[in-house]
Amino acid sequence: MLKILIPTLLLIPTSWLAKAKWLWPTTLLHSFIITLFSLAWLKNTTETNWSTLNPYMATDPLSSPLLTLTCCLLPLMILASQNHLAQDPLVRQRIYITLLVTLQLSLIMAFAATELTMFYVMFETSLIPTLILITRWGNQMERLNAGTYFLFYTLASSLPLLITLLAFQNKTGTLSLLIIQLLGPIPISPYVNIIWWTTSLLAFLVKMPLYGVHLWLPKAHVEAPIAGSMILAAVLLKLGGYGMMRLMLILSPLAKELCYPFIILALWGVLMTSSICLGQTDLKSLIAYSSVSHMGLVAAAILIQTPWGLTGALILMIAHGLTSSALFCLANTNYERTHTRTMILTRGSQMILPLMATWWLITCLANLALPPLPNLMGELIIISALLGWSWWTIIFTGAGALITATYSLYMYLMTQRGPVPNHMISMNPSHSREHLLLTLHLLPLLLLVFKPTTIWGSAY
Amino acid sequence: MSAWRRLHVKVRRAHGLFTSRRVTEQYTWMYGPSTLGQNLSTGKPLRNDFFKELEAQLAAMRKKAADALPGSSWSPFDINPNLPPERADIVIIGGGVMGWSIAYWLKQKERVREGVKVIVVERDLTYSQASTVLSAGGIRQQFSLPENIHLSLASADFMRNINEHLGVLNEDPVDLQFNQSGYLFLASEEVAHIMEENYSTQRQVGAKVTLLSPTQLKEKFPWINTDGVALASYGLENEGWFDPWSLLNAFRRKAMSMGVIQCCGEVTDFKYTVQMPKGLEYQMVECAIVVNAAGAFSGKLAEMLGISSNPKDTIAGTPVPVEPRKRYIYVVHCPDGPGLDTPFLIDYSGMYFRREGLGGNYITGASPKEADEPDTSNLEVDHQFFEDSVWPRLAYRVPAFEKLKVTSAWAGFYDYNTFDQNGIIGDHPVINNMYFATGFSGHGLQQSPAAGRAVAELILDGNFKTLDMRGLGFRRIMAQEPILERNIL
Repeated sequence: MLKILIPTLLLIPTSWLAKAKWLWPTTLLHSFIITLFSLAWLKNTTETNWSTLNPYMATDPLSSPLLTLTCCLLPLMILASQNHLAQDPLVRQRIYITLLVTLQLSLIMAFAATELTMFYVMFETSLIPTLILITRWGNQMERLNAGTYFLFYTLASSLPLLITLLAFQNKTGTLSLLIIQLLGPIPISPYVNIIWWTTSLLAFLVKMPLYGVHLWLPKAHVEAPIAGSMILAAVLLKLGGYGMMRLMLILSPLAKELCYPFIILALWGVLMTSSICLGQTDLKSLIAYSSVSHMGLVAAAILIQTPWGLTGALILMIAHGLTSSALFCLANTNYERTHTRTMILTRGSQMILPLMATWWLITCLANLALPPLPNLMGELIIISALLGWSWWTIIFTGAGALITATYSLYMYLMTQRGPVPNHMISMNPSHSREHLLLTLHLLPLLLLVFKPTTIWGSAY
Repeated sequence: MSAWRRLHVKVRRAHGLFTSRRVTEQYTWMYGPSTLGQNLSTGKPLRNDFFKELEAQLAAMRKKAADALPGSSWSPFDINPNLPPERADIVIIGGGVMGWSIAYWLKQKERVREGVKVIVVERDLTYSQASTVLSAGGIRQQFSLPENIHLSLASADFMRNINEHLGVLNEDPVDLQFNQSGYLFLASEEVAHIMEENYSTQRQVGAKVTLLSPTQLKEKFPWINTDGVALASYGLENEGWFDPWSLLNAFRRKAMSMGVIQCCGEVTDFKYTVQMPKGLEYQMVECAIVVNAAGAFSGKLAEMLGISSNPKDTIAGTPVPVEPRKRYIYVVHCPDGPGLDTPFLIDYSGMYFRREGLGGNYITGASPKEADEPDTSNLEVDHQFFEDSVWPRLAYRVPAFEKLKVTSAWAGFYDYNTFDQNGIIGDHPVINNMYFATGFSGHGLQQSPAAGRAVAELILDGNFKTLDMRGLGFRRIMAQEPILERNIL
């Protein structure tokens, strides 16, 4: 664990001491090496599932894919931000990279935490660099509003979580994940049960986001700079999912009745947010709502607490992380050239940038869960698990899958096909940096087709 | 405007949250033959409209509540609410009728609500030097270029059904005072053949014009002196004049109700984005498309792009050939003048006049010769020009005008296209995201609805859909192929 944490920590002095010319290549290379090392976590050989164990941190098949995803994302964020930060003063660039690294550190420690207290602290810590990123480097006035929504939705919902954790510690004497997975049901009075259940999960449901409390997500995603959008979509949403999966261990006999309204809300959210996608004019907003839609499926799957549900949730989280991040990168390449996110003004790119159209196609197909990509695997497993829970869910999930396909194709057709507007005739050609960025997103996705067991989690 | 004034009044004499209103006399807003269109009173509006009142009342209530509650009204946003937003999709430079027409059509054609974010930048909201409001307001289809005829015909159709297009719910209907009295062009012997050719082009495109011989002319308009006139061309429908200020305001009101943001400021720099200062503050606006609808000042605006630094005979060095030219309009009063059916008469000598209102007033002017173009640094009127060039021709053509009195005069700029005196509609060959709708040289106002639609189609659909205006694009300037009107004013 330290062999990842210390290099990540030392990336901060690197970004401050590197010469201006070498700042971006150095940090890029450094973070790539960290990613390479983090791949070692994916190999799980122990029977208790916990490996790389030390008193504070450990990895298990649930957290190791998420950890690798997080480490993988840092070089991609650095790669994506290089262009639009080029005209900023040097100090601002260094601060930006420092923020990304701090975020990375807090996320690694969050996913690898064995104590729920540490997880909670890191969960909150990750909010701060993200908030700074959104409010200082965003493009529009609305970013202040977006930052406020983002911060306060998560803070307000996670404060009850703190109290729940403290009460739990008081009752059972421990908050270590390794121990609480072995505890039996906790004796609590019947009325406090419901509050207990809700407060434990509310923070994560807001983070996922669940449909009723999803309002912060479109705002935050649209106003954030590209690196902010990438990390938000790929990893921060998964913090919610991961937290839910860990905490539901201690909530077990209650879950059977209390999960009902949230599952309905999640499934309804899948349908609603996919429909909203069809009517969006802003490209980033469309991708943001598509994230809400996919995460609705994940939330529903985690709430039903079956082995297949948990497996499907984890696969979909990883696959969606890579796909959504790739979509945001593509939207950014468009934005950097035309300075507008409105889809009606940026059509017909296939004629001008054909290779980028290939990436658009693959990513949009991944988004609509095309076989054999892991997106499909996750969705299919989730749909089957939900079907086992109740037949009626097929209406929601089926319609949701249909509309997902519709808006993914709509997004592809609107940006790539159609008449080329006159103002797009002389755009800059695609940089090889952008091609590299998208390859590094899609390559893991394609490789996971061949060995999905790496991201199947501990229910396998 | 009136809603704001009403609110002001309410704040001063409010006893409670709701105030009572005086019920006023009857007011007819039917388009009767004797309507003057303009409200003569400057006080309260003459009708009670509950819903307009409601908005103002609720706003007043909210303001009252905010003042009563504790807490300061400081907000970290909005340092200066007059500055434009930091980014927009389309920035239209120039808040004249062309700019607002383009803004309206862009909003009309977006397929979903808030599809495109449009800002219109105007540096002088009093419109003291804008060509739109200083125009004589005529509309005609008697051009020689089919594109021009199409534009005017489509615009006339738009203006006849203006309330279908520009009517806003719960607001007063638009009244353009469109007098369809027609244009009357008089041709001498030498140019009569040009008029005949133009006539056939116009009829082919669909304009409703007719040719009149001198005797027919004298029969129809007995007050004309037909000496020297060989042929006359008279527009029967869709020609005449209207109030430019009403059209501008109608476009503006409708566009703003659809979400276009109006900014008061001047564009001073293009740094891959548009920079607009107001006083000493400036705001960089990041945008995808810029539309140059700055009228007489378009050439100067395009200079900021650094076109003149490129060699003259390259495509990149093609300048935007629009410059301001000053034209005078004189209002004369002649009680024995021609009657109510006076058309907008244009003589072959360059003189023109039309009826203004119902009190025996007329608007007249003439185009100066190329050599005596007036100085464009100000809008001062040269009355000597009237004495020397306009009155003699006027009195020659209409003997009744020998006895008249000049009651008023003003000057305005033409956005004169020095290349071929016709509009430039299209995108710049080198700067891909700058569109132009300028250089109309005196017939911009009448073509503004259709030209606005053409530019909006170009931006949102990629090419022209309803009218093909490719002939009016930048290509002709690059290729140095002027498309001249024959017989322009």
